[in-house]
Amino acid sequence: MADFDAQVRKSQEQVAEAQAKISELTSRIETARSKLKTGDDIEIDIENATLDDVHAHAEVMNANIAELIMGLDDVTAGFSKDFDEMRSKTGWESFVGIFAQGKSESMRQERLRGASIDDKLQDLIGKSDVIVKLLEGQLAILNQHKAKVESNLTETLTDRETTVGELEGLRASILAMDPKLIELENKISVEQDAAARTKLESELAELNKQYNAMVQDEQVKLAKSQTLERYIEKGKTWVDSLQNQAATQMVLINKLQTDTKQRVVLYDALTKSLKTAQQQDVAHRINEIGVQTDKEAQSAMAGIGAATNQRMAEMMEAHEEHMVFARKVLEQKAKADERFARRFQAIVEKHDKNLYGG
Amino acid sequence: MANIDLTRDYKPLDDDLAARRYFAKFDRITRLMVGVADEMEAEGSLSGLDSDVLEGYVRAISAAFKALSLKYLVSGRLDGVGQKHLTIDLHESGFPIFQELVTMANDAAQAARHLEGLPESARLKDEMIRQIVGERVVPTRLQFALSQRLYYQALAKGGVFYPQMHPQAQWLADLGEGRRRFLVHWAVYDSQLNVPVVYLMEVEDSGRKALPLDERRWPEAQAHLLAQSVGGLKLITIAKGFDTDFDDLHPKRLRRLHLGPMYSSAFTLQTGPIREVLDEAKSPVGEDWALAWAIEELESDRVELEKSGWFSSVEREVFRLDPFSGRGADTGATRMTRSLILPQRPFQVLAEKDPEGFRDVRKFVVGREGRVMVYG
Repeated sequence: MADFDAQVRKSQEQVAEAQAKISELTSRIETARSKLKTGDDIEIDIENATLDDVHAHAEVMNANIAELIMGLDDVTAGFSKDFDEMRSKTGWESFVGIFAQGKSESMRQERLRGASIDDKLQDLIGKSDVIVKLLEGQLAILNQHKAKVESNLTETLTDRETTVGELEGLRASILAMDPKLIELENKISVEQDAAARTKLESELAELNKQYNAMVQDEQVKLAKSQTLERYIEKGKTWVDSLQNQAATQMVLINKLQTDTKQRVVLYDALTKSLKTAQQQDVAHRINEIGVQTDKEAQSAMAGIGAATNQRMAEMMEAHEEHMVFARKVLEQKAKADERFARRFQAIVEKHDKNLYGG
Repeated sequence: MANIDLTRDYKPLDDDLAARRYFAKFDRITRLMVGVADEMEAEGSLSGLDSDVLEGYVRAISAAFKALSLKYLVSGRLDGVGQKHLTIDLHESGFPIFQELVTMANDAAQAARHLEGLPESARLKDEMIRQIVGERVVPTRLQFALSQRLYYQALAKGGVFYPQMHPQAQWLADLGEGRRRFLVHWAVYDSQLNVPVVYLMEVEDSGRKALPLDERRWPEAQAHLLAQSVGGLKLITIAKGFDTDFDDLHPKRLRRLHLGPMYSSAFTLQTGPIREVLDEAKSPVGEDWALAWAIEELESDRVELEKSGWFSSVEREVFRLDPFSGRGADTGATRMTRSLILPQRPFQVLAEKDPEGFRDVRKFVVGREGRVMVYG
């Protein structure tokens, strides 16, 4: 059990590392956000904060969690040794037993009377608490980051709404300009007087300039809206990942706490039933009871181990699935975006052609 | 745990108000326990020293409850992480589970370090006011910090009931011929019943050095007694084992007090007549409980000399067992007294129904103004 402390230290380091990774990713998202405000291109920054990073990070976390659980299992493995010792004779007792059966038995009884696993139980509870606190710390960080990114996203969403609103306004004004342009063009085509025609033409040129400026503005706004949308998507993925990690941690904390409670009750009951059974009026059945209890303890403990491992595996698989799913969703989203952009472009082009076609 | 849930009897008190009521109830009950101990002293079933010792343990239990109530005062209101609730054993105990006490003992060992890290309560209060006035929100986090500070302060002050209260020896009398009589008392929080249990043992010491001053025998005896403080062991087994393992210590009288379980129609599940009694009493909040007390007692009948090795012999106690033990359950004790402490209202229902199992139970009835009276 000496290396449990080392294990905890190692896990603490890993947690710190994981937290650094989370902070880095969040700060990248935030940098991108501040760049958004200044209107810089955020393409590269966001691409750096890829899903791969998130994925690698999740793996670090999972390994860390698995090791913590294994660490605690090592601690509990110590109990079965105690149970064995309580049931069997020590080397010296067996040796004495060769000469004096009664003396050997009374020595064993004396040892049994002195046996207690209360300190070990206390140790188990203490260590489980340490792990739970560690996990809780990590969970708090995860939640904190999630809240940060979420508030960030809310702000960005508002931004995007405004941008889209502006875009729509622009489009409406562009549309409103159309009849004016057509009217002017018609006027020019029927105007005979050169001076009036020149005046009309300069008017048209002015209007066209305005129109072009607006169209250009539309492009800028469109690009901004798209960038914002991309940012939101990335942010959402990160929030999802954080949420998922937090859920894993919560499940794990819960599991650990429940397990520890069960273990305390189980080991305590086993020790005490051993003590009681071996001391009290069932001396002739000691062997039977001993064997029976042993079997039960072993199967019960195997149950704990198996359940924990299974849960871990399931959680890891679920996480993996989730990550794959998230990636798929994102890919589909990207495709849809692309399709949308392509289609949208066609519409814009058509629109443009209509305007300039005259 | 694939198929069996060993913590089925456990219940977290996740309702904040319920938890407060629970603590308020125990605060009242533990205060009454002192009154019951006094009453027992007055009628002679406990000596003055016994009742003082008992009061010490009751006070420790009360301090433990106070500390736990501080620990869980705000923690139920936190969002997400850190939200914690007191877990109690609701079947045949009504007390917090063993693990709560162990966790508290672990916390107590680190109380000083925690107190170093936590801000002063004056500062916390100041910040709270600032948050209330400035941000107009309930300062839950700060309240939590303060509750934890108070919790660790209570632990640092000491005097709380730990899962093990190590044996102490009180000198009783000098019997001459190098013999002394001591009262050795210790207590454990029984991990299977989830009930505090106090042991009182009167022991004669024929060793050369007085037991509490003997650095060889005393730690050994302490460890032995704690390791044998198992609810499942009969008194005769404990006393016999002690007598066998320590040649110059002679246990003359061993008593075991179970200070529980607590029955309450609001918090615990119970079976048998006590359930009907509590249900029918329909007592107002705070008066719907009953606390059972069991005292097992084992006395030494005579001493026999037994050969030990070739030249020496040691005294071995022969204990007096309940003459009626063949009739009912084998108690492994000389006598057993069961008592029930309960408020007036449930007592009246109990007296009316007069269930058979409760006829030989002594009833300590608590009046409205907190006076304790004995019936039966």
